[in-house]
Amino acid sequence: MNAPDANSGGAPKRCFDLSIGCVPLRLRTSDIQLFHAASSRYSAFAAAAAQPIRITLNESSRSGSEPAEFGFEFEGAALRASSQETRFDGVRNEYALDSLLRVLLSWKLAGRHGFLLHAATVVRGGKAYVFTGRSGAGKSTVASLSPAGTVLTDEISLLRFEKGEWRAYGTPFWGEFRAAGSNSSAPIRGFFRLVQAAENRATPLRPLEMLRALLPNVLFFSAESEANRRLLEILSHAADSISGYELAFRKDPAFWEVLPE
Amino acid sequence: MNSILSVLWQKNPALAWREIDEATVIISPKDSVMHELNATGSFLWKNIDGRRSAVDLASLLAENYEVAPDVAQTDTQSLLEEMCSRKLLVPAPATGGESR
Repeated sequence: MNAPDANSGGAPKRCFDLSIGCVPLRLRTSDIQLFHAASSRYSAFAAAAAQPIRITLNESSRSGSEPAEFGFEFEGAALRASSQETRFDGVRNEYALDSLLRVLLSWKLAGRHGFLLHAATVVRGGKAYVFTGRSGAGKSTVASLSPAGTVLTDEISLLRFEKGEWRAYGTPFWGEFRAAGSNSSAPIRGFFRLVQAAENRATPLRPLEMLRALLPNVLFFSAESEANRRLLEILSHAADSISGYELAFRKDPAFWEVLPE
Repeated sequence: MNSILSVLWQKNPALAWREIDEATVIISPKDSVMHELNATGSFLWKNIDGRRSAVDLASLLAENYEVAPDVAQTDTQSLLEEMCSRKLLVPAPATGGESR
């Protein structure tokens, strides 16, 4: 899983396999510090799988690269992805790596009928309750008011439609808990737009209202028209098929009483 | 905007759009802005194809919503102006018609 790799020269390259939302990834690098940081940060998501997305990390001297289908730059770090390879260059620390992984996943998920959402997800009765909203909306508050061990993530949820149902997955991307989410998933019971209020109340959302709630909270970084069309198709499907609610809640665990079982 | 009625318009091909709940949600990928059209706007949007003139669109609107022709023309002009100001429409090429 994280063994040294064969190398034609220079520092030995190491590989770290992980899986986020059943999307297998393989990080390959000779940057030993970054390798150890990634191994530690994503240890809960370590998993080897067939045909991973291969990411070459900080190996910018490689030649013969294909033209990129998708590119993104963030604070000096750059992502370039083609059908054959994905390269992260100029990654100086685990935070930059984390950012590029989010960007890459958001792009790859569009081809897998899924997306990343700023949302806390809590599992109750075997079903996932997905709470969305911008920073300050109350995602971390909802997570902190939920029983230990039930929070898949307090910051970024991964939603995918697979085998005829929508599932929510935890991700390793940190929120206010400053801890990785849970490497597990559950079928989605409902989607909740958070509004802090004096009383607890869940009001059903129509598909259009749900799409309005989803769009500002989706992580997506491609400006390419076709990719955005695919994303909109996926989000419209989610808005049509997942029960959505506006959740007015006050900061106590009693809000669970107004949620559908 | 005086030329709005004399130009053939087509949907901006850079946009992503989807009908939902009788409305149309449009995403502009370049600036990540979301636009929303109500039922009347959606009706016009569906029929804007680079071939129909504003007069054609107003006739369709009058027929579909059973409103007087002058009202339909005023509404059509207003909606086209709004869509143009948001860069949702671009002039159709001389040969006319959308590719998708």
